[in-house]
Amino acid sequence: MGDIVTVDGLAKRFGDLVAVDHVSFSIAEGEIFGLLGPNGAGKTTTISMISCLIDPTEGDASVAGSSIRSEPLAVKRALGVVPQEIALYPTLSAAENLAFWGRMYGLSGAELKHAVDDALELAGLADRAKERVEEYSGGMKRRINIAAGVLHKPQVLLMDEPTVGIDPQSRNHILETVKELNEAGVTVLYTSHYMEEVEFLCDRIAIMDHGRIIAMGTLNELRDVVGGMDVITVSVENVSDDVLEQVRASEGITKADRSDGGLTVLTASSGSVLGKLVATLESEGAHVTSVTVAEPDLESVFLHLTGKSLRD
Amino acid sequence: MAKLLHIAAKDFKIVARDKAAFLILLGMPLALIFILGSALGGVGESESVDIAVAIVDVDEGSSGADFAERITEVEDLQALFNMEVRSDAEAVRAEVERGDLTAALVLPSDFSERLDAGEPVTLEVLQDPGSEIAAGIWSGVARAAAANLSAGQVIRVTVADALAGAGVPAGAQDEQTGGHDHEIELDAVVVEEAEVDTDTRVGMIDFYAAGQTAMFLLFGSMFGAFTFVKERREQTLARALTTPTSKFQIVGGKSLGILGVAAGQFLVLYIGTMLIFRVDWGNAPAATVVVGIAEAWAATGLGMALAALGKTERSIGGIGPAVIMLFGAVGGSMIPAEFMPAWMAPIQSVSPSYWALESFLGLMRGEAASTVIGPVAILLGIGAALYAFGVWRLRYE
Ligand SMILES: Nc1ncnc2c1ncn2[C@@H]1O[C@H](COP(=O)(O)OP(=O)(O)O)[C@@H](O)[C@H]1O
Ligand SMILES: [Mg+2]
Repeated sequence: MGDIVTVDGLAKRFGDLVAVDHVSFSIAEGEIFGLLGPNGAGKTTTISMISCLIDPTEGDASVAGSSIRSEPLAVKRALGVVPQEIALYPTLSAAENLAFWGRMYGLSGAELKHAVDDALELAGLADRAKERVEEYSGGMKRRINIAAGVLHKPQVLLMDEPTVGIDPQSRNHILETVKELNEAGVTVLYTSHYMEEVEFLCDRIAIMDHGRIIAMGTLNELRDVVGGMDVITVSVENVSDDVLEQVRASEGITKADRSDGGLTVLTASSGSVLGKLVATLESEGAHVTSVTVAEPDLESVFLHLTGKSLRD
Repeated sequence: MAKLLHIAAKDFKIVARDKAAFLILLGMPLALIFILGSALGGVGESESVDIAVAIVDVDEGSSGADFAERITEVEDLQALFNMEVRSDAEAVRAEVERGDLTAALVLPSDFSERLDAGEPVTLEVLQDPGSEIAAGIWSGVARAAAANLSAGQVIRVTVADALAGAGVPAGAQDEQTGGHDHEIELDAVVVEEAEVDTDTRVGMIDFYAAGQTAMFLLFGSMFGAFTFVKERREQTLARALTTPTSKFQIVGGKSLGILGVAAGQFLVLYIGTMLIFRVDWGNAPAATVVVGIAEAWAATGLGMALAALGKTERSIGGIGPAVIMLFGAVGGSMIPAEFMPAWMAPIQSVSPSYWALESFLGLMRGEAASTVIGPVAILLGIGAALYAFGVWRLRYE
């Protein structure tokens, strides 16, 4: 199958800040493509350029054969967009919101009605369709936010961190929804700063940092970047900058950074490093509660490539 | 075009569901019309306004009775006034002082005698200082009647405030209110002026209905501007821009939404005040509605300008009412515009409320529908200028 999205040297500057720095990738029809990166990496800016919301400073991209620069209307017709923020009218009901967004994509009459019903079904909220969106929980709003981006059955769906700030149950529902949509033939560009989501969903992944793509490939290809290494995760309180520097300087430790609730360390020789690491931490007054050694994941790839953890 | 209408309908729905908007656009003006209108008389009476007045006829001849009858038999005056012909001058004076009578016209005992001799006659109008406007209408009636009485005859009409409770001797009042004495030469100009006065039947409730409507119609602009800010903040504007919908459709649709809100508000106030307060908007409903819609357009322009100027609801909620109240105040929504000092004229000329109110009041006074053409053109122009500024400076993010 051919590429339905191609991004070619796309760049965006805001004054002196280079938000997106000559990014290129392509997405094959039917793929779920992941854009993984920490906050501020440039994911939203990239999506905004592809969806013709902001003009690129340099470069071009095409969706379903149409250029974002010369044929924005055709691009917009081929796309569905799920924005990072919940972009809905709080005082309108879910059904009214969906009907409105359907009309913005040119749907009307019976076709619109079916599309709204299907979208409510997809969101699992058919029984609460008449309630105002402002009365919904965060997770329910997220689901309607997604439904509003897919009800016109787009060829390509851009999803910008669609699971931010919701409960695990809603998150699972959303991830399953993305899989379902993809199985129904929709090509998906999915951005996130949660590596688990990207690992679970995506056929191919680009890792982004400071506006640049620093690695790209399938999950296995990316894991090979840190081939033969182990990830040590230490649950520990009060890691000072001094201690972190000491750990980083220790022999056998490739990369180390703070992570959720402790420290993540990348090493090629976990057996010899482990004891020394714990001793260093304890001697500096840090209290270690648990240590795990695991196969590398995308988190460790990011740590390896950038020297920092994804979530800081 | 269909999308534009859908966007307008969506914004109309959002504002209509907003309780604060409902309160400010409809609740406040209706409450103010009721409070101001009833405080100054004229609300709640089943017929039109009913001002209690008396004609004191102590004339020793017969001309006094003829004169009084000529006034009391006019149907237009019967609708406005509850008129009594009396001969107990002192009792009438006391009733005016207490406010039981709004005004009285006193015909002197030598009325016939002087008239027959071709000498000047002095008529006295007593008025309750608490109801100056109603009493003013009555003195206009007296002057018009005097003018009709006999061309070439000089009749003095003196207006004396009955100073309630001040214990001023009746005889001293001529001196005290000397400044209010009107000596009428019966040339064409004076007669004409007097006729205009008899046609003036704009009661307090009518005046405030027109005034508050002219001012509060502009508040629709504020809620229109709020929807822009909300759409920027809640990212629905950005989302709309990722759909195959043009900026022209989005801005046009939202503008049409504001216009719809303001026009709907006008119709509710117009019909509502007619039904609830029996406000008489005049005999040219089509012209009144055209003026209302023209001001709704000016409100749309103001809404776009506010949307461009204000980044947040707080800043729009600060600028909006300040500008609207200023327009309303100089436009005469609170105090009749003719009492404004001359230096305010430039602000009046750009105030949509001023042009709308002048037109509403003119139509209430029975002026021809065609007299609103100029003001309507000005309202459309003000709206277009504000609108152009708003579109020019509008930000989408
Ligand atoms: N409109 C803007 N003006 C100025 N800077 C911006 C704007 N939008 C984004 N940025 C900056 O660009 C960088 C990338 O932002 P963004 O694309 O939102 O990252 P991500 O979505 O990966 O978190 C950040 O440093 C952000 O502050
Ligand atoms: Mg983002």
